[in-house]
Amino acid sequence: MADLLSSLGTWNWLIVGLVLVGIEMLAPGVFMLWLGLAALLVGLLSFFIGWSWQVQLLAFSAFALAAVPIWRRIGRTHVETDQPFLNRRADALVGRVFTLERPIVDGSGVVRIDDTVWRVAGRDAPAGSQVKIVAADGASLRVEPA
Amino acid sequence: MSGFDIFALVVVLLVILTLFAGVKTVGQGYDWTIERFGKYTRTLRPGLNFIIPYFDRVGRKINMMEQVIDIPEQEVITKDNATVTVDGVAFYQVFDAAKASYEVSNLNQAIVTLTMTNIRSVMGSMDLDQVLSHRDEINERLLRVVDAAVSPWGLKVNRIEIKDIVPPADLVEAMGRQMKAERVKRADILQAEGQRQSEILRAEGAKQSQILQAEGRKEAAFRDAEARERSAEAEAKATQMVSNAIASGDVAALNYFIADKYIKAFGEIAHSPNQKIVMLPIEATGILSSLAGIGEIAKATFGESAASAAAAARRPTVPNTGPGPGSSQGGN
Repeated sequence: MADLLSSLGTWNWLIVGLVLVGIEMLAPGVFMLWLGLAALLVGLLSFFIGWSWQVQLLAFSAFALAAVPIWRRIGRTHVETDQPFLNRRADALVGRVFTLERPIVDGSGVVRIDDTVWRVAGRDAPAGSQVKIVAADGASLRVEPA
Repeated sequence: MSGFDIFALVVVLLVILTLFAGVKTVGQGYDWTIERFGKYTRTLRPGLNFIIPYFDRVGRKINMMEQVIDIPEQEVITKDNATVTVDGVAFYQVFDAAKASYEVSNLNQAIVTLTMTNIRSVMGSMDLDQVLSHRDEINERLLRVVDAAVSPWGLKVNRIEIKDIVPPADLVEAMGRQMKAERVKRADILQAEGQRQSEILRAEGAKQSQILQAEGRKEAAFRDAEARERSAEAEAKATQMVSNAIASGDVAALNYFIADKYIKAFGEIAHSPNQKIVMLPIEATGILSSLAGIGEIAKATFGESAASAAAAARRPTVPNTGPGPGSSQGGN
């Protein structure tokens, strides 16, 4: 075991790194990729630095953790999607105007949208009046008189 | 193996585990709830997410896509005490992963049970006929009630559809018979109506034809009368002309006409095939005397001295024309 570990050399790190990247391709989770890149980095540095295998392991751990801020930045970057309201049906309705099917009494009423009924919340209004959806709050829509 | 060796190995393992615990990639269509020490704190949306390892933990992974659940078959007693078997489907979507995770335990079971009980109460308030013909209304009422009931769970029921409504077999059979009877009734009525219509049409045709015939007869009678009038007029005129002619001319000329007609009529009687015995109510002398009249005309034409002889011949001939065969001419 110790021999195997102590024999960790430049090429073994590079091989492990490539294998991890390959695993990431097969089972994506944005997880193995960064471990693999860290391993590749350790392997490349090993060409220039003669460090012990223990230090190599610690360096690998440090690189892997250091990747977290980079991930966060990538995760936070705004990725363009052509379906911004996927699985967010209520948000897609914001800004549209509908006719109240049932009056808003004590703050809640009903509108009919796409052949189903939606509960709306807003100022009291009689049935048949037009309301504009201003926000989605779970499965309930906040409305204002249009 | 030295302590440093082991330390290095453990650090690597720990780092890998930490990364596992801290980096979460949520797939599209799902929301994950995060619990800190067992208490819900926030919801992870699709994409790359980070949580604090050791503190935070993924709670539930909620499917945010619209889902369909089967509402199992159940027996429902309608208002008029018919037992029907009903099943359906419900479509719902989670809008609030946290509420769906923690406000209700066993979400699907809750929706199914809620829908089943509401089906019973909605259909139980309707007659069988209504139940069978007002599916839309049932769906609508169910949707309203169930949707309102599930709202605390962060869901929205988009649609509830009754799939099958199966009345008991004997009722189905009775309904079939009812329908058949109804059709037969309609067919009978239609047939009777057709007959009535056709008979009316026929009678109307007959009436029309009779009217037309009568009108024809009337027209013909009018025309006949007119013809008779006209012919009478013509006769009167002819007689007038003849009498004028006689008044201004020789009376013996009249005798010629009468004799001519008389002999022609006599000839026709003689030629009649079925009457060979002819009773002649005439005096042969009359005819002879009219022949004498002819002679006198000839004399008058060729000689001047016949005026007195003609006066003698006139007396027997004129009354003889009355009962003779030329009655149409002697009518005046």
